[in-house]
Amino acid sequence: MKITLKILFVILLSAASVFPQQKKNTKHSMLNIDCKTCHACQYPTTDDPCLKSCPRLKMVTVYRSPDEAPAITVLNELENKYEPVVFPHRLHAQMSEISGGCITCHHYNTLGPVLPCKRCHSTERKREDVSKPDLMGAYHQQCLTCHRQWSHKTECVSCHKPKVKGKKLNIEQKILSYKQKKHPQIKEPTRIIFETEYKKGKIVTFYHNEHTKLFGLKCVNCHKEENCLRCHDVKNASNQNPAYYDTPVKIHLPKDQHHKICMKCHRENNCSFCHKNKVSETFDHGLRTGWKLNRFHKDLSCKQCHKHGNRFVKRPTACNSCHPDWKPGTFDHKITGLILDDNHSDIDCEDCHIDRDFSKKPTCNNCHDDKSFPKDKPGKED
Amino acid sequence: MAAQNRRDFLKTMGIIGVTAAGFSTSTTKAQEKFKLSEDRIGVLVDTTVCIGCRNCEWACKKVHDLPAGSLEEYNDRSVFENKRRPDEHALTVVNEFENPDNVLLPVDVKVQCMHCEEPACVSACIVNAYTKHPEGPVTWDSDKCIGCRYCMVACPWQIPAFEYDKAIQPNIMKCDFCYDRQQEGKLPACVEICPEEALIFGKRRDLIEIARQKIKREPDRYVDHILGENEVGGTSWLYLAGQNFSKLDFPKLGTDPAPGVTEKIQHGIFAYFIPPISLYALLGGIMWINRGKSKSKEV
Repeated sequence: MKITLKILFVILLSAASVFPQQKKNTKHSMLNIDCKTCHACQYPTTDDPCLKSCPRLKMVTVYRSPDEAPAITVLNELENKYEPVVFPHRLHAQMSEISGGCITCHHYNTLGPVLPCKRCHSTERKREDVSKPDLMGAYHQQCLTCHRQWSHKTECVSCHKPKVKGKKLNIEQKILSYKQKKHPQIKEPTRIIFETEYKKGKIVTFYHNEHTKLFGLKCVNCHKEENCLRCHDVKNASNQNPAYYDTPVKIHLPKDQHHKICMKCHRENNCSFCHKNKVSETFDHGLRTGWKLNRFHKDLSCKQCHKHGNRFVKRPTACNSCHPDWKPGTFDHKITGLILDDNHSDIDCEDCHIDRDFSKKPTCNNCHDDKSFPKDKPGKED
Repeated sequence: MAAQNRRDFLKTMGIIGVTAAGFSTSTTKAQEKFKLSEDRIGVLVDTTVCIGCRNCEWACKKVHDLPAGSLEEYNDRSVFENKRRPDEHALTVVNEFENPDNVLLPVDVKVQCMHCEEPACVSACIVNAYTKHPEGPVTWDSDKCIGCRYCMVACPWQIPAFEYDKAIQPNIMKCDFCYDRQQEGKLPACVEICPEEALIFGKRRDLIEIARQKIKREPDRYVDHILGENEVGGTSWLYLAGQNFSKLDFPKLGTDPAPGVTEKIQHGIFAYFIPPISLYALLGGIMWINRGKSKSKEV
């Protein structure tokens, strides 16, 4: 048992450290960058890339998906004193998508493979070149900058479990549980009421859920440089109290920055489109455009009708402008949920639907005096 | 308070001395510059990295044979409620300050002897108990010290402490940069234990270069000031911070080396004994005049 554990451990460790080298080379040599920006020698190889120590003032990096990251990295430099630290690498990578991405930790990464911390950060504290922290400093600087802000703890044992003599390590169990761990679904605020300094309309109501649902936006589409603390601080009111967003909040960014985000889409709207004197209601297609969405259209995403990206141009309301195959004689009324009986299936559409306006309630008056819709139905419901 | 009064008293005496010196001596010179190695060492303290774990405090006490207690006791963050100074029981202390940019990320600042390039304590010491080593450290020799405490007054950073509670052979206590450990090829205890490497140990000139690079790379993170680069002629310990150093309780000091001031005062007072003699002559004169006056009133 002990041996298998050991083997498993070694495999995991080596997997974690070998991982970056296994990836496909992105042929960065073809890019228009002087090799000497990063490499010190003339013929760098995979084994010895002879990288210069962080010479790049501007970070050169390529986008890498969090799924490329190893699920777990085991940090076991202090094996004499502490149990290994199981670091859910991929989970962090996934979360980093909305807060800076891989380069948050893999700063000064090359265009080549992702380099593990050890590649640049020496394990020696007493060393010649102290321009970058040693491995212990590097790890702690990365982890604690965020973690201490929400745990408000800095003691060693908050991350490192002291090693107890004679106690068996259940590290593989920890690895398994961490592997299955997923970031919980982020609770999305319904709306945020901003209190602005614009005198003619102080209140801007931002319906968060509407924007994500209607426009099919992912978190990363808007949230790119978020601080983990936005959610992870236990002292932060907005995490604890869902009613937090029911009261107006003062704008937290400079005015221009807020505008920049909204203006990406609301370029053609005037000030009063967003700035009101009271909290505005959710978007209602009927109220805003005069064309109420019926039960079939309600569930469609905006893009299914408004196909021009995020520009919402008014669409013609005639049915066959979207449904070109709906023609008298061929239209199967069944899809509306009402199967017409024989008497009604052959009459003209406009006999019931005045002016062929199918968004309005049909009438029975054209033929009947004593019938009305929806009390009486010209057929049976599907 | 007592120390402050004493300080004020000495300052006043100093001013009198300088004035006297101004009359009598222009021949006194400040001591020749200290001999310093090109490769002298230093420590760069990045206060934006320090987490206030206080492991350095523990390690320092441990290697200096001071009562240290267990490392776990140092997890107690309630000590940050008061601002502390290094004293005879702790040669280095960490203080915590509020961060105006982020309340969750307080600023922790380690305080200890700065190991000045031209140390005022060394100049002030009248029995040569202090040594400025060419490699950087400023150390103190118990065998030579007579306990005059001039060094405490002279230090612009108010660092040397005195074992007032010891009746027999009280020591001056201050950070010695772990000079003995360094001789053995070891790092200073605080640097060695720092989990964040917020204390970077290296050649002073390299550290200044590193500090400049850090400021250049992250101008939003740091104020464009390396404390100790030029203050009082430069110090071995250098500091980086995200806010003005005066907000982190550092004294505002000019770039003139402190010994220049203290030496002028001392040399002024004692040069050929002219100022004391003239002072006594002046006082005697006043007495003599007053004596005459009171006599004439009596009559």
